[in-house]
This record gives sequence, C-alpha cells and structure tokens, in this order.
Amino acid sequence: MAGSPGTGRRQMMRLWSLFLLLLVAPVSAIADEVLVYQGEQTIFEDTVWNGDILIDGILTVAAGVTLEIRPGSQIRFTRFDSNGDGIGEHEIFSQGIIRVIGTVDEPVLFTSAEAEPRPGDWGAINMMVSEEENLLENCIIEYAYRGFHAHYSQARLLNSTFRNNMRGAQFQESQVVIDGCRFLDNRNGMQFRDSKVTLRGSTISGSHWGLRCVYSDLKMSGCTIENNLVNGANIRDGKIEARGNRIVGNRRGLYLQRSEAQIVGNDLSANSEHGIFLEESTVEVVDNRLANNGRAGVRWLNSKGRFARNMIADNGVYGFINDGTTAVEARNNWWGSAKSTDIVAAIRDGSDRSGLGLVDSRYPLMQPLPFNLLSETP
Amino acid sequence: MDMKLSCWKITCFVVAIVAAVTSCPSASYAVDMVQEYSGAFSGDLVWQESVTMTADVLILKGATLTIRAGTQISVVPAEGTKIDPEYLSPLTELLVRGKLDIQGTPEKPVRFIIIETSETEEIAWAGITLDNAVESYIQRVELERADTAIRCVTSSPEIIEAKIANCRYGIVAQQQSHPKILGNILVDGEGGIFSLSGSNPYLKNNQIINHDEEAVFVDASSRPWLDRNTIKGNAIGLALYPRDLPYDLTAVTDNQENVRWLGRQGQADVK
Repeated sequence: MAGSPGTGRRQMMRLWSLFLLLLVAPVSAIADEVLVYQGEQTIFEDTVWNGDILIDGILTVAAGVTLEIRPGSQIRFTRFDSNGDGIGEHEIFSQGIIRVIGTVDEPVLFTSAEAEPRPGDWGAINMMVSEEENLLENCIIEYAYRGFHAHYSQARLLNSTFRNNMRGAQFQESQVVIDGCRFLDNRNGMQFRDSKVTLRGSTISGSHWGLRCVYSDLKMSGCTIENNLVNGANIRDGKIEARGNRIVGNRRGLYLQRSEAQIVGNDLSANSEHGIFLEESTVEVVDNRLANNGRAGVRWLNSKGRFARNMIADNGVYGFINDGTTAVEARNNWWGSAKSTDIVAAIRDGSDRSGLGLVDSRYPLMQPLPFNLLSETP
Repeated sequence: MDMKLSCWKITCFVVAIVAAVTSCPSASYAVDMVQEYSGAFSGDLVWQESVTMTADVLILKGATLTIRAGTQISVVPAEGTKIDPEYLSPLTELLVRGKLDIQGTPEKPVRFIIIETSETEEIAWAGITLDNAVESYIQRVELERADTAIRCVTSSPEIIEAKIANCRYGIVAQQQSHPKILGNILVDGEGGIFSLSGSNPYLKNNQIINHDEEAVFVDASSRPWLDRNTIKGNAIGLALYPRDLPYDLTAVTDNQENVRWLGRQGQADVK
C-alpha cells in the first residue's frame, strides 16, 4: 500500500499523540491513584507512595534508598506461581529503608490482588542487609508467603496486623522490636533465628506454631499467645525473658529446649497438653499460674533452676511431671491443695517410676498467692 | 493464508502445551518415572513399589496422593533438627492439604521405613499430617518411629487396620476432626489416640497396647465414640475429661490405671 501526504501527516499526528500520552501516563496513573510496577523494577531514588499501588512483579528498593508509604495506601500484589508450589513470587525486596507509616484510622494495606485471595498469593516484604531502622506502623499484611521477612536487618513493627499469611513474620540475624501487633490465623505465626527480639503487647493466635525461635535472645512481655495447634511458643537453644504473658489454649503452652529462661508472672493455662515443657534448660520459673492444662501443668526433663511461688492447680493428669533423671527443687508452690496426699498425687517423679529424679515439694504454700499478670518488664 | 494461519495456530498450541507441561512440574507425573520425592505437589501423584521421601512432601489443596498396595516408602530423616522448617515440623514430614489415598491390603501393606544413619534419633520423622484434607483413606499402612504417626487437623479420614509402633503419638485428632479409626494396632509408643479441641473420632476394634502414658486421651471439648477397643499394658488406659462418655470397660484391662478422670491433677477420684 503506497503512502500519501495525508497519510504521512496522520502518522505524524499519531506519533505525536502517542508521545504526549507516554509523557502524561505516569502522572495520570498517580492521579487515578493506581501506580503499577510490572516485571522486575528497581527504585533508585527516595520515593513516597500515597495511594493505590499494584505490584505485578518483583520490586527492588536499592541500597541507600528510602521508600516511604503514607496512611491509607493500599499495595496489592498479583499472584504468580511459576513452579506450582503454592507460593507466589511477586514481592518487595529491599536493601534500602522501608518506612510504612499508617495510622489507626488509615492503616496501610498489603494484600493480594486476586478476587479470591489465599495465603501465599504473594511473596513478602523482604529486607536484606537493611541496617538502618525499618518501620512498619499501623499496617495490615495479608495473604503473603511471609508477611515480614528479613536477613541482617533492623526493624520495628508497631500496631500492625499480620493475618492469613503462610508465616506472619520470619527473620534471621536481625534485630526486631514488635509492639502491639496481632498475628492472626497465619499458618505459622512467627519464626526467627540468630536474632535479638523484643516482643511486647502482641497477640499470636490461630496458627499451627505460634512463635518458634532458635539461637535467639527474646524478651517477651504482655503478650497473648493462644489457640495455636502445636506449640504456643517454642524456644530452642536460646535465651528468653518472659513476663506477664498469657499463653493459653494452645496444644502445648511454652516449650523450651536447651535454653536459658526467666519465666515470671505468666498465665500458662488451659493448654491441651502441657502448660510449660522444659527440656535440658536452665530456668527460673516463678509467680506463674499453671492451671487447667490437659495433661500436666509442668513437664520437666533434665532441666535445672528455680521453680517457686507458682500456682499449679486443676491440671488434667498431673500437676508436675519429672521425666528426667535429675532431681527438681519445687518448694514454695501452691499445688491446688494443702493436703500432703494431694500434693504427692499431683506429682509424678522417681517415687512413681524407677530411674526418674525426685521432686522436692516441701514447704508448700497453704493457699495460692494472688495472681496478677505482670504488666511490664521491670 | 488460512493454511498459514492454521499452521501458526497449531504450532502456538503445541508450544503452549509443551511449555505448560514442562514449566509446571506438578501438573502430572508418570508412574515409575520418579522415585524420589520432596517439595510441594499441586497435581495428582501416584506412588508404587519403592519410593524415597528425601525431605518434606506437601500435597497441596486440590491434589491427590495415591499410594498403591505394597509400596515401601523410605524416609530420609532430616539432618539434625531443621532450623527453619519449611512446613510444620522440624522433622521430615508428609503433609497433606489435598487428598490421601493409601491402598494397602492384608497381603500387600504400605510401609514407611526409616533410612538409618548414625545420627538418627529414636523419633526419626514427623509422620503424616492431614491439614484440612478432603475425604482421605489410610488402609493397611505400617508406620514407626514418628512424632505423630497420623495427625488430623480439621480432617476426617478413614484409618483402617494400620500398624503403628514406637511413635510419640499414635493418632491425634484435633480442631474438629472426626476420623473413623477402625481395627488399628498401636503399640509401644508414648501416647495412643488423642482427641483434642472438638474432635469426635469413632474408635472401633483398635488395639492400643503398651504405651508409656495415656492409651486414649479425651479433652473436655471432644466426644469420641469408643466401641470395643482393646486397651491394655498402658500407664493409663482411658484418660477422660468428659464424665458422660460411654465405653466398654471389659476391654480396658491390665493398665497401671485403667481409667483416669481428668481435671484434678490426680488429687481426687472425681466422677
């Protein structure tokens, strides 16, 4: 088809229109409050999001760059599962700084873009070697593989909700402060290793595992860990200071393996099996309530330390089981009764099974001490 | 022109099919092609003859794992204790969120065996977990040295004539699970069958023998139906919160304690 002068002008007009359209496009996208990132893109300069964002790929925040997200923003991720493993791969990957500043009235939402969302639709808010302090405040993070994920990073998670993710939060070699957050109905609530963590006033419920950590230093106060299907909190080869927490209604409450622990003023009750399970750990367990647990208030396995001033009452099979070969000093506790025969009945130890250590339950309390959850870490 | 277009469409179609099949490893599996398994599977999967679980296996929602009669599954225990378990357990696990159909027969049971190393511990793997699984059948399977041989979470499979030995827990039904547990033999574990958090399994003709702790444990919110089970040689035969649960005491014999009513930590025989 041969050209003509009129056709040429029309083509020029079309090109000019297209050029203008491209020039205006980003502005109109922002004006329409939907900013789209497709494929693999990187933010190389400080950026502020204030509105609706669609991430249809992997968005990287370069080292040294800050991404700030303002109240009310909604960030949606498309589902892309290249290998059929049920885990979406579209996500944010940050080596810079992420500051998400929602408010109570206008939280920032991170969610799936799918009409029928499910856990694992998108990857994570990943932080890698992000040593400046990152902040997630008043956020809702849902339907991710890992809501928050970090390596070698520092972060504060404040007043945020992590729900319906495969894992609410997972991090390694990081320093994280979590205050006033809710981890609800994730497959696993929170897991971390080689990290230093402060967890205050937060809730972890409705998961298989509530909290699981390895080789970490955890300070936990004023938290509620409830209705998790395996363990409420599992600390392995770590250090924990737990004060004033409610760890209730899980299959097992608090499970310590080869760890150092101060467990003070907590309610470890109504768990299906054990309130607290101590395995080869060094512990101070004082002023706690261990009541109405299905199998036993305490299961003690070759641990050492102080166990005193606790209330051990109305548990299922036993109040205290010593399954280890070492003796346990458990003086000055309330055993649900002041009668010596009742106290003996509440304890299973070497006097019931040969080869096991004895439990020294002398000087029992004659009545339970008033129980109050400690409100703050002293 | 039309011919070219048709050829082009056919070529695109073929390329798309090939790409789809090769890029989605879980779409389908030919029996006998692959004998080592680990990872997540979203398509139907058939195991037969000799199979190795080299690590965790997850059957995703919508997928089915069928295990044919006579299959032997060799389980490779996780090296040490995993720091970041991929799914639920730090031990090697078979996790089913779809459907499980184990088709063992009396002549050809399905066997899970442990590949032993010098570091293998007494409890060597996690076992089978059904998590919101659909209609599943577990027939004539032999399981040993699992943390929990069969754990049902909001799942109600039929578990028929399994042999479960030396496990920490035999069968756990939790979170509104109502499995039919029929004619199984559970021996030499820590605990036998546990009903937790609103679960009402049907237990009939099972033999639950020689457990270090409770043979049958029922929490306050569960109501299993206990029907002609043989429970002997355990520390506690029946450990029961519900006071109104019918059971056949004649077959609960020779335990250190045949029945323990729960809730007073052994301090009074409250009924």
